[in-house]
Amino acid sequence: MTASSDTASFGLSTETVLVTRRRKRLVSAIVTTVLLALVVWSVDVTVVKDTDWERIGSVGNVLEATNRFIGIDVDLFPTLLGPAIETLLIACLGTFLGVIICIPAAWFGAMNITPFKPITYPLARLMMTLSRSVHEIVWALFFVAVMGLGAMPGVFAIAVRSVGFIAKMSAEAIEDIDHGPVEAIRAVGGGPFQVFFYAVLPQVLPQIIGVVIFEWEINIRRSAILGLVGAGGLGLVFFRQMNTFNYHGVTTVILAILIIILLGEAISHAIRRRMI
Amino acid sequence: MAVLQVSDLYARYSAKGPDILKGISFDVEGDDFFAIIGPSGAGKSTLIRCINRLVTPTSGRIVFDGQEMTALSGKDLRRARRDIGMIFQEFNLINRMSVMDNVLSGRLGYTGNLRTLFRAFPRDDIDHALRLLDRVGLSDHVDKRADELSGGQRQRVGIARALMQNPKLMLLDEPTSALDPKISREIMGLVKTMAQELNVPCLCNIHDVKLAMEFCNKIIGLQDGVTMFSGPTEQMNEATLDEIYAMEVL
Repeated sequence: MTASSDTASFGLSTETVLVTRRRKRLVSAIVTTVLLALVVWSVDVTVVKDTDWERIGSVGNVLEATNRFIGIDVDLFPTLLGPAIETLLIACLGTFLGVIICIPAAWFGAMNITPFKPITYPLARLMMTLSRSVHEIVWALFFVAVMGLGAMPGVFAIAVRSVGFIAKMSAEAIEDIDHGPVEAIRAVGGGPFQVFFYAVLPQVLPQIIGVVIFEWEINIRRSAILGLVGAGGLGLVFFRQMNTFNYHGVTTVILAILIIILLGEAISHAIRRRMI
Repeated sequence: MAVLQVSDLYARYSAKGPDILKGISFDVEGDDFFAIIGPSGAGKSTLIRCINRLVTPTSGRIVFDGQEMTALSGKDLRRARRDIGMIFQEFNLINRMSVMDNVLSGRLGYTGNLRTLFRAFPRDDIDHALRLLDRVGLSDHVDKRADELSGGQRQRVGIARALMQNPKLMLLDEPTSALDPKISREIMGLVKTMAQELNVPCLCNIHDVKLAMEFCNKIIGLQDGVTMFSGPTEQMNEATLDEIYAMEVL
């Protein structure tokens, strides 16, 4: 390196910097224009052309339709308690069943402990992907078709839908453990069960419990709508109120769902905070 | 007779990878405090892990307590490991468990799955653990969680866990590398006292040549998987040390 002239110490000349900056500006202008065109096009296709403007009518009509929902149907209260409890129970049982299905899924799906990598690992990954890529309503439709109406298909739908997230997070937690304790328990002559119970489980348990509680909270949300397809709980009541055009009843059910979800969130928050 | 005889040991981590150990041989006698020294990457950790088969050697013989370690697998291997205590650089404790549970985990080789599940160790084990904790100076910390302790205290738990096995041989993998010089000397002193008291020979990987010269009666010097020196500590001199650590200088 020669430090003879004072400009040589800068690697770049002013001209090069200006040119690259100009090029960057041009690229971002093109990208912005293309994105804007896409937005305009999609609004035109999905909103402007696809809406029944006659049916909506004027702004006043929309406000009037909205107004129908304001108000509570007090008569509905006694009939809500049963379904509300059912919704909570579907969430609890579904999460519990999901955790049980997760045990093999997480075990097979963690690269470092999977028993036979070429078969068990892809199998577990398939379970996780399948569970997450199908919507809970679709799972519920499937189980209602298989088992008939009621809360049980709801429990199964929730369980199967929970596997993806819980198993994936658990498998990742297992993959990230510190290998040191594993080595230590093997060195004292411990067998596979002892290695798992002493060296693996204590490291991942807090994380897994956190994930399960989080999933339980989401499952309350899920089970609240499963009734739409006949899988029990508050969703079923919601569906009936909607069908009989009892708009105040619909609002009442929505409020009930909201209360249950807030309750679940509060419980989940309290437990997780105590744990951490 | 030697407690441990290692002869012509070769090890590598993958079929086509380079040899990490290239024909290592040495014997550990009943009252030895045996040091393995050498620069990073010389194969010290691999060598010590071959002894209790945390790493499987490619060829060579390891005779411990009259049995050929390289031939063992499954239950027989676990049985042999029960007689070999091991102390680690990073302590390798179960952080979320108490000091007591960590020390008791030294008995897992003797504990059935059902007892493991309920952490139901026999009275004798509890008694033994308390005595050992007293000896390593942790009587006041029995119920603390392992991650609440300082580095030196954690290594003391590691020592108690290893001694809990009533081992016939102790393996020490850089027991002082994570500790400051003062604590390092304390830990080495403690291991040496306990080993002499219980008549357990030790095989110790150690980075710190000064500590090795101070505490060990025999030294094997490795460089790039090859033995550069092997003999009593008195025979070790500056020239040999320079040769062993030559690669580090470069």
